[in-house]
Amino acid sequence: MKKRTKRIMALGLSVLMCFSVAACGGGTEDTSQGGGESNQASADNGGGAADTAEAPAADSGSDSGDKVITFWNVGTEGADKETYEMAIRQFQENSQSGYTIENIPTQNDKYKEKLVIAMSSGECPDMYTTWSGGPMNEYIDSGYAQPLDDLYEKYGVKERFMEGALEQASYNGKIYAVPVKNISIAGIYYNKDLFAKCGVSVPTTVSELEAACDTFLANGIIPFTLANGPKWTGSMYFQCLAARKGGLEPFQKAAAGDGSFEDECFVYAGEKIQEWVNKGYFPEGFNSMSEDDGQAKAFFYTEEAAMYLTGSWNTAAFKTDSEDAGNDFYSKVDWFSFPAVDDSSADASILCGTMGDQFVSFNCTDEKLDAAFEFATYLSSDETIDYMVSASLIPPVAGVEDKITDPVSKSIIDAANKASAVQLWYDQYLNPTVANAHLDGNQEVFGLTMTPEEANTKMQAAQTEYLSGK
Amino acid sequence: MEKEYKKSINKSRISWVSAILLAVIATMAAVLPFIFMVFNSFKGKFEMLTKGVFAPPEKLNLTNYEEVLAGGFVKYFGNSVFVLCLSLLFVLFISACAAYPLARFQFRMNGFLYAVIVACMAIPIHITLIPVFQMTKSLKIYDTIWAMIGPNVAFALPISVFILTSFMMGIPREIEESAEIDGCNKYRMFFTMILPLAKPGLSTLAIYNGVNIWNEFSFAYTLTQSPKNRTLPLAVWDFQGQYSMNTPMIMAVLTLTVLPMILLFIFAQDKLVKGMTAGAVKG
Amino acid sequence: MNNHADTLGKRRQRSTNIAAFVFLLPVFLILTIFIFYPIIDSFIISTYRWNGIAADKVFVGLSNWGKLIGDREFWFAFRNNILIMILSIVIQIPIGLAEATFIEFAGKKATVCKVLWFIPMLMSSVAIGFLFNYALAANGGMVSAVSKLFGGGNIDLLGNKNTALITVILVIAWQFIPFYMVYCMAAYTNVSEDVYEASLIDGATKGQYFWQIALPLLTPSIKSAAILSMVGSLKYFDLIYVMTGGGPGTATELMATYMYKNAFVQFNMGYGSAVAAGMFILITVLSLVTMRVINGKKEEA
Repeated sequence: MKKRTKRIMALGLSVLMCFSVAACGGGTEDTSQGGGESNQASADNGGGAADTAEAPAADSGSDSGDKVITFWNVGTEGADKETYEMAIRQFQENSQSGYTIENIPTQNDKYKEKLVIAMSSGECPDMYTTWSGGPMNEYIDSGYAQPLDDLYEKYGVKERFMEGALEQASYNGKIYAVPVKNISIAGIYYNKDLFAKCGVSVPTTVSELEAACDTFLANGIIPFTLANGPKWTGSMYFQCLAARKGGLEPFQKAAAGDGSFEDECFVYAGEKIQEWVNKGYFPEGFNSMSEDDGQAKAFFYTEEAAMYLTGSWNTAAFKTDSEDAGNDFYSKVDWFSFPAVDDSSADASILCGTMGDQFVSFNCTDEKLDAAFEFATYLSSDETIDYMVSASLIPPVAGVEDKITDPVSKSIIDAANKASAVQLWYDQYLNPTVANAHLDGNQEVFGLTMTPEEANTKMQAAQTEYLSGK
Repeated sequence: MEKEYKKSINKSRISWVSAILLAVIATMAAVLPFIFMVFNSFKGKFEMLTKGVFAPPEKLNLTNYEEVLAGGFVKYFGNSVFVLCLSLLFVLFISACAAYPLARFQFRMNGFLYAVIVACMAIPIHITLIPVFQMTKSLKIYDTIWAMIGPNVAFALPISVFILTSFMMGIPREIEESAEIDGCNKYRMFFTMILPLAKPGLSTLAIYNGVNIWNEFSFAYTLTQSPKNRTLPLAVWDFQGQYSMNTPMIMAVLTLTVLPMILLFIFAQDKLVKGMTAGAVKG
Repeated sequence: MNNHADTLGKRRQRSTNIAAFVFLLPVFLILTIFIFYPIIDSFIISTYRWNGIAADKVFVGLSNWGKLIGDREFWFAFRNNILIMILSIVIQIPIGLAEATFIEFAGKKATVCKVLWFIPMLMSSVAIGFLFNYALAANGGMVSAVSKLFGGGNIDLLGNKNTALITVILVIAWQFIPFYMVYCMAAYTNVSEDVYEASLIDGATKGQYFWQIALPLLTPSIKSAAILSMVGSLKYFDLIYVMTGGGPGTATELMATYMYKNAFVQFNMGYGSAVAAGMFILITVLSLVTMRVINGKKEEA
């Protein structure tokens, strides 16, 4: 009996295996072909490198010839996605170009990696979004973005945008991108209820801010919520403090190689941070908390923390989260710009952040570029702008303040309009290697495991190395 | 004598009790995070942030699941199943083919070839992304579910060959020798003797590789772009907005992703045990 | 006569060689396409200064390699990898073996355990990273809660430079113990049941059976499990990427995360490839040497 079942099993198994041998045979044939072709492909690539060096933009990724414009972005959800889809609808309805847009949203986390892989294989999409700054400049230097000044002229859209936004879309004096979405600047959201309860008014100087923090501490309230796991969150404190202490000049000089990150305003920023950490202004364990998982927001929502220094894109999240929960939390929230440093003459209207958050670059030429740019103009059409404003996004277009009724957004746009200059986020402005040195060092400054001087020296060393390799 | 016996009974009872105690601790450690995952998948975003992750949900809120299932989850699921089955079939068969000569034959290059395959375990996958992407493009299978099968198989092979080779070395040699005397050639021997005997090893591999392929992210992300060709791990990320991560929603996706694997394991482990006992050589 | 036997032997050897070739052909075809070619490619790219996307690369010879050898961050990452390797072997395999042994002894009654213990293996790194970020949070996490129960303060394991790495190692162990459990369960099937029954009849306790009979028979499997664990932990990436991103500072930076940062974030594809190729050399040499040592010992015994 036992023997028989065994035999049957063996038989069945061998039938199965014969089947899979057939499948496997087919498979190996395929893959061996693949090997041949892949070698060829790599040879092609090697040979093609010289071609693309001459006119890399001509070699657009999509199957050229057909009238499809591929558009990569990170709008996978909510208002972001709707904004792009809305613009595509308008383009398909109105455009005479005959092109269609293939919208390819992918998740944010590894978007840059995906772009690098596509570009290195000569498969760059026709249009793609970036966050401007260092990476955008790399794409431009490598020939994956086209200057757009003529098209801006042709479609007459230059006046539509805020000046600061176009400035961030420019490189070497030419405009290379179309600013799309949100004005995203660093500022402090605060809980009006908690401020009133503790008798604190909106601080205008750092010493007032510190006094407010001390009052909160005395009342058992965490002054600032912060989740510094991803590092860029803590970097905002550093950037704001440095800008208020020394203005924009020290940073711009250091970034250009004419100055140094060891300037006193950077030392001041690091020292203030450590002073605040020592006084307990931040929640316990903040240095490893995750921003994306909402660990910083949690303290703000539960009203355990009074203030939240972060990017202004969070307005939308606060609003929808509060609406979803069906409570009045959002009505307690307001916003103020980072206060001035008492004894500094630096212009306190300067903001840190970005005037567009997302910038569309173009990797196509001639007719296709024209059509693609036409599509991009719909990203700032009246209809799209109205939608964005209703979704608590602040598009970087002139006159947007008249459309905004939301009080929090109003505070933000007022500050943006008053700003004499906007400093792009360090981690986007600087070369990525230098940016990482800054982020790593600053996290250690927050963790009190590195002195401000050490961190700045490390950052300057990375900058020096970068400049010498350029 | 009696005393001695009792003592040993007592001793074994004590050791059993402590073993069971440890087992309970291990069970808690293994299951608690899973329970939190399921709990949080029922919460609203605001609820999770204000009440904390470790509080039980206020009510069984199924909206997250409804939204996930409405968002193309079924399609992702089907793709994942397809990729998993095909990849596994190739991995198991090819690695069994390779392990057999490495474990049982004597030929000059044996040690060297084995070392080469083992060395392939040392490849960090991210460095292969660009060449594999280019290859996929030139084979014209970019953005199809076929694209993921090659890399899935290739990266599962070295470790599978390694495990199977050491497993096959453990199969007693006498069986083979007697079959050889009966005039059975190496190919027939492989199908009739070795494969059935290697079943416990193969089922371990099926589980290990199955889980890895099911959760594979990097290649799926790089090699596909349209939603209709994506697999489940990408679904997780499709629910992540740019700035606001809707964590309970992600937990719902993850729960739905893990659930079939758990069911499959409960179902399959019975078969697995049978496979193992069938493989054990008796007399 | 002698001659005849010789040719017979030769013919046999030849048929063995052919069979070996046929059986090994598919695996080498696939490995060539997906692994040999990319690794050679990365050795070649490592001799260029290249941002990864531009059409022009600058040939720099071995200067990336020179930089790699003197790169303290890389060697620090390597040190972290080694720590993970040692602790993974020491933690994961014994616990996995213990669980398998428990299931082996308890038989059918332990089926529930088997399923439940296996769950961590099924979860993706994203889920694990998220859950442990919360479970380990200084404020409101499980560890802090336990510490408070005993009158201590909040504990911030992941944010502290000194404890971050060991914490991550424990989470990795949590994820991989089930694999070694299943691995050991499969290994137990090679220990014949008759041996077990016979030893019980001989009056051996279960403890004696385990230490004196089962363990020696399981040793080869445990050795290969150690190799697997070793290679796995030297190229580890997922959970670190999700949980700490290499932080705080660079406290949990690994070779793979360092390579990723260089190649895909900092536009240093050339140097990133050198890191990858360096990793490949280090891991291969380490694992082959270890295998040689293990097998050498086996021959002596």
